[in-house]
This record gives sequence, C-alpha cells and structure tokens, in this order.
Amino acid sequence: MTTDPFRVASDALSGTEGQISELARPFVRFLPVSGASVSTFGTFLSAETISATDARAGRIDELQFDLGEGPCWDALSTRRPVLETDVASSAEWPAFTRAIQGENVGAIFAFPLAIGPLEIGAVDLYSDRPGSLTPEQQEQTVALSAIVSRILLRHAVADVAPSPTSTFSRRLVHQATGMVLAQLDTTPEDAYLVIQARAFSESRTMRDIAEDIIERRITFSALPDGEAP
Amino acid sequence: MNETSRTERLFEAFATLADTLVVGYDVVELLQSLVDFCQELLDIDSAGILLANVRDELEVVASTSEANTLVEIMQLDADAGPCMLSFRTRAVVSVPDVDVDADRWPAFSATALAQGIHSVYAIPLRLRETTIGTLNLMRNEPGELNTQDVRAAQALADVATIGILQERTTRDAIAIRDQLQNALSSRVVIEQAKGVVAETRGVSMDAAFARIRSHARSRQTPLSVVARQLVSGELRL
Repeated sequence: MTTDPFRVASDALSGTEGQISELARPFVRFLPVSGASVSTFGTFLSAETISATDARAGRIDELQFDLGEGPCWDALSTRRPVLETDVASSAEWPAFTRAIQGENVGAIFAFPLAIGPLEIGAVDLYSDRPGSLTPEQQEQTVALSAIVSRILLRHAVADVAPSPTSTFSRRLVHQATGMVLAQLDTTPEDAYLVIQARAFSESRTMRDIAEDIIERRITFSALPDGEAP
Repeated sequence: MNETSRTERLFEAFATLADTLVVGYDVVELLQSLVDFCQELLDIDSAGILLANVRDELEVVASTSEANTLVEIMQLDADAGPCMLSFRTRAVVSVPDVDVDADRWPAFSATALAQGIHSVYAIPLRLRETTIGTLNLMRNEPGELNTQDVRAAQALADVATIGILQERTTRDAIAIRDQLQNALSSRVVIEQAKGVVAETRGVSMDAAFARIRSHARSRQTPLSVVARQLVSGELRL
C-alpha cells in the first residue's frame, strides 16, 4: 500500500472509470489547493462542469464559460498549463478577475485536457491564498490530466461510436490506427480513441473514418490549430 | 515452369515449411510462406488463409496481396461463401465458375467478380477431427483446378496444419485455440504496423507489408515482433 499522495491520487483516478463526477477529487489530495473542477468545452464537447470538489470550484468554471475568458480557455487553446499565482494583481482577464473578486480566490491554475488534436476541456485548481505549484507538482498534474482526458473521451464516445463488429472493418480500423499513431506520435490506444471521437463527432461509423484515413482524405495533426475534429 | 523445376520447387517448399516448424515458428509467418508458395507453384492468381477465432468465425490471417480488396473478398467468403462452406463441412469446395453460383452467395460473388476472380477452390486445414481454418485458392478465369495442383495444394495445406497441430491431441483443443487466437491477435499488431509504415513512408498497405516482411526475414525475427517494435516506435522502417 503506497503512501505517496500522487500515487494514491493516480490510483484513485484509474478506478474512477464510469464515475466521472469524482474526477476532480484526486487533484486536491496531492496538491496545495483548496478546490478543483474538471470541465469539458472546446470544439468537440459541450461546455459542462463534469466534476467539482466544492461549490466555489463550480462557480469558477461557470464564470469562465459565461464570460468566454479565463485561465481554462487559455490553457486549452495554448495546450499549456496556466498558472495565475496572484489573482488579485492579474491583468490577464479583466472581466473574469472582476467577477470572482467576491470569491476570495488567491491563485488559479488551469491545465488543458486534450488528446492529440482533440480538445476535451480543462482542470481548474484554485487556492485561497496566492502561491504557485512546484515543477514536480505541475508535472504530476499534467500526468493526471492525461488520464482524465482519456476517461472523459471514452465516456463521451463509447456508446455512440461503437467498435466495428465485422472482421474486415476491424482490419481497416487497425490499419488506420497505425497511420494515426504515426501522425500523432502516440499510442495505439489513443490513436484508436481519436478515430472513435472523429466518428462520434461526424455521426459516422469507425470503418468510414478508417477508410478516409487510409485513402488519406483525413489526416490528423497534434497541433491545436490543426484540422478540427 | 517445367515439370522438373516445379517438382524441385515444391520439394523446397516442403523443406522450407518443415524448417520453419523445427526452428520454432511464428504462425503468421508460416502461413504467409504457405500462400506465397501456392501462388508461385500453382496455376492460381491469388491465395489466402483464414483461421477460426474463439467465436468460431473465420478471419484472414495471410494472403498473397495485402490490398484490402482481396482481403475483403475472402472475408465475405468467410461469412457466406465456398470458404465458409469448406470450413463447416470440413471438405474441399470447388467453385469452377463464380458467376454460375452467384445466387448462392450474392455478396461474395458480386465482389469477387468485380475484382476479376472467377473460380475458387477452398481446402479445409484439417487433421483428423480438428479443423482450424481454410486455404483458399483463387483464379481469374473459370475452370477446375488441375489434378496435380489439387494434390500439391492439399499436401501444402496438410503440412501447415500438422505443423500447427504438432504434438497436440484433440484434448489440447484449448491450447490450440489459444495459439490460433494469438496468431489472429498478432494480425492486429501487423495491421497497425502496416498503417505506421504506410504513413511514415507514404506507401500503400501492400508495399508497407512487403517492407515489414523483408525486414523480418533479413533479421530472422518473427513478423509479430517486428510489428510490435514498429507500433511502439522502437523501430522505424
């Protein structure tokens, strides 16, 4: 039984499959933050708070959605963590900063949720007092965010873009998976998810998408500004 | 090919298959060699092997062309066609004119004819009570396969079957199934690896497979191992 808080958190996440309302909790177990939220938004999934450890975390998300600005938007569009170590003195997001004045928030950290070209959403972390995260804590948050991205994507697409049942279709999907994993420099599992997500977003079958990939009518790029899903 | 050199090549084919079995072998590689020999030595245009998976459905595990058109034909054949019939009845099924039998297997016949395949000969891969799959020989013109070719094909199929089932009795049915399922699973990684090479080299699936195979051969490494290395990024071709 491990006592390393990061391990505990990451094990908790791996067991969260199916209960996505619990996704935010592991982050507060190993980070010096007061609350966390996990939300989906962007080009692919609708804007929604999936999990929040407390009401304030939920409101921080909601304000950013309503105002169309804030650290979570920047994190996803740049695909980099955004660390606002002192919200009171921040000039980045005037409307958002004004709106959360009454919330007593010292620092906000936003981490992007994405898989290859797919925008999933962001993890928002806040702390009562100003402060930052160590490089190690940032690295660990990025690692947990990657797990959260996969759980959310699987959850979103599993029912609507089922795996192909015919042997020949599966073969095409395997070939396409190989092409996508080379395009995105990723694993077969993630490449498969990317194909599944594309099928989901276009209401087509995985075999259809696979054929387009094999015929090079669809290519994927890992850049955020690449082809939209 | 004259009769003497054909006999010699056939002998070499058996020797090669036997070698593959002695050295410790990769089922996919063994079956790939088998279809290649068939194409070289018999009066046919294409060949493929299908193995039964754990659900007793036939899946293409080796074929003379990796072009998806040929694979699709054989897969349709496996659902409803001479190949499926041969597997179920455990007997040779000869369709000398696909056009004549078109009503019997509409999906298979239409696709086969569209690709210029006019006759099919399906041989069960069978040893005593155990049937593990089928060998399919296809020709671009109608007509029966000549007697010599029938015998040669049967012999090649038997060697491969015995090889796969060697030292196993039917009591080991589960072990055999596991082994065949492994072969089919390694086909998944091989398909992914074809995609990787097709993408990085900008070539067709067929050309990608040829590259993977020639690398596997020159390094004497099983296809499935090379495929795994390509998918994990350890190897680039």
